[in-house]
Amino acid sequence: MKRLSLLVILIITSIQFAPGQGLYGPGQIKDDGRFAASTKQLNQFFRRFNAEESQDGLTRYYAGDEEYHNRELRTKYISLLFDNQTSNIPENLKQEFKDQVLSESYPQYLNFHRGNWFAEVSTVFQYKGKREDITLFMKLEEEGLGYEWVIDKVTFDSFKRFFDKADGNKKPFLHPLSHELGFMNLRKALQDNKKPESYTPDEFEPDYLTIFLYEIKNGNIKFETVKGVKFHFFQIDNWYFEVAQFNRPGFNTGWLVSNLSKYSDEKEKEVILNYIYDQE
Amino acid sequence: MKKHIQAFVLLFFATTLFAAAQSDNISPQRKQAIDSLALEKVKDLSKYISIIGSKETQFSEANRVMDRAEELFAPGAEMGVSSINSQEVAYYPVRRYFERLMALNYDNVKISWYDIHYISDLERQPDGRYVGVVTIYQRFEGTSAETGLNYKDTTKKDITIYVEKKQTQVAGRTIEFWDVMLGDIRVTETSA
Repeated sequence: MKRLSLLVILIITSIQFAPGQGLYGPGQIKDDGRFAASTKQLNQFFRRFNAEESQDGLTRYYAGDEEYHNRELRTKYISLLFDNQTSNIPENLKQEFKDQVLSESYPQYLNFHRGNWFAEVSTVFQYKGKREDITLFMKLEEEGLGYEWVIDKVTFDSFKRFFDKADGNKKPFLHPLSHELGFMNLRKALQDNKKPESYTPDEFEPDYLTIFLYEIKNGNIKFETVKGVKFHFFQIDNWYFEVAQFNRPGFNTGWLVSNLSKYSDEKEKEVILNYIYDQE
Repeated sequence: MKKHIQAFVLLFFATTLFAAAQSDNISPQRKQAIDSLALEKVKDLSKYISIIGSKETQFSEANRVMDRAEELFAPGAEMGVSSINSQEVAYYPVRRYFERLMALNYDNVKISWYDIHYISDLERQPDGRYVGVVTIYQRFEGTSAETGLNYKDTTKKDITIYVEKKQTQVAGRTIEFWDVMLGDIRVTETSA
């Protein structure tokens, strides 16, 4: 019985010490620091941005821990979270952003569940026998006992080309006394006309997601693969930033800020969103 | 012996986690214990991959190890592989991936692992199970005596883990414990 207890204790001890000892024992390759420095998951981007993990990434800090949200640690981390090789974000803009998120009186953090961030996924589908690029915008949503990613919007050039609505005196129209003829002119409008969207209201916006789902259900669009992912954040007051993955030699790799913009009001935010979603 | 050890590990988790298993929330202490269990599974997988990839492994033995490796995974798990040259993901069922690894045409294959890993937070899914991702790095070296071909790569493996509360009967008592299964794996070739 004593031997059994000893064995159990031994196992427990080895399990609890496992995280700090690396995975594979003798013969493993020693990282020269590049993989440790890399922001390996978006989860690590969140943790580093907020200072919620130790510098070796092995210890998660929780509310109440001394180092949790530590300003000095955050200052170090946030500087490392920018793509410093290709993105050309002006230094003064970065500094202004850092000053705001690291403010002593009103520091700002990222939150996985708070919304105001989403994923842009570049995919390839087969459509009418051709490989076509389709962009899916995904957002995180509460559902059942937890959360799930859902497809929020779709951008697909072939769909966009379908809807080319003219306006003003050049557009086809149903004349204002059509009702007196029981709208008999609908035949000409919808049977002979290549642009039925001409007969929609000013505020009409095609819903590409519905068309996309309809085409998938009809077997006209077939998923092939994912080509890339990036993320768009609007969680920091009046700031937009994009996070992309950088797979290259060196220490400035992994998930990093690749784009940074300041906006002054909701209207400007809308302009950025419209640019990202690219629906028109 | 391995089965005995697993039984003890199960027992350990069942007994030490029992009180807090009443709630569905995962405390930092439990998260640490789950991380350790997840790392054990990843370690097993790494060991199996090395055996399957080794040219010294007999065909029958490799098949047996593939069976064991498959048992680590939730049903339907896939490997999604991309390279430096093409970021497009190629999808393989786990078994198919192992078979491709076994069939690689090198006289000597060496698979080793970097001393670094990263474990994400656990997030709850709509069905109540928790999901996390463990990241590890693998070095592959293959040499062919005949052609003199020498191929090396380093891949990042992002491994899905599913964490689920289960129940078992021990001496007539129902004990709840947390179990870990592996899921889809994203394999990315790195520039290292």
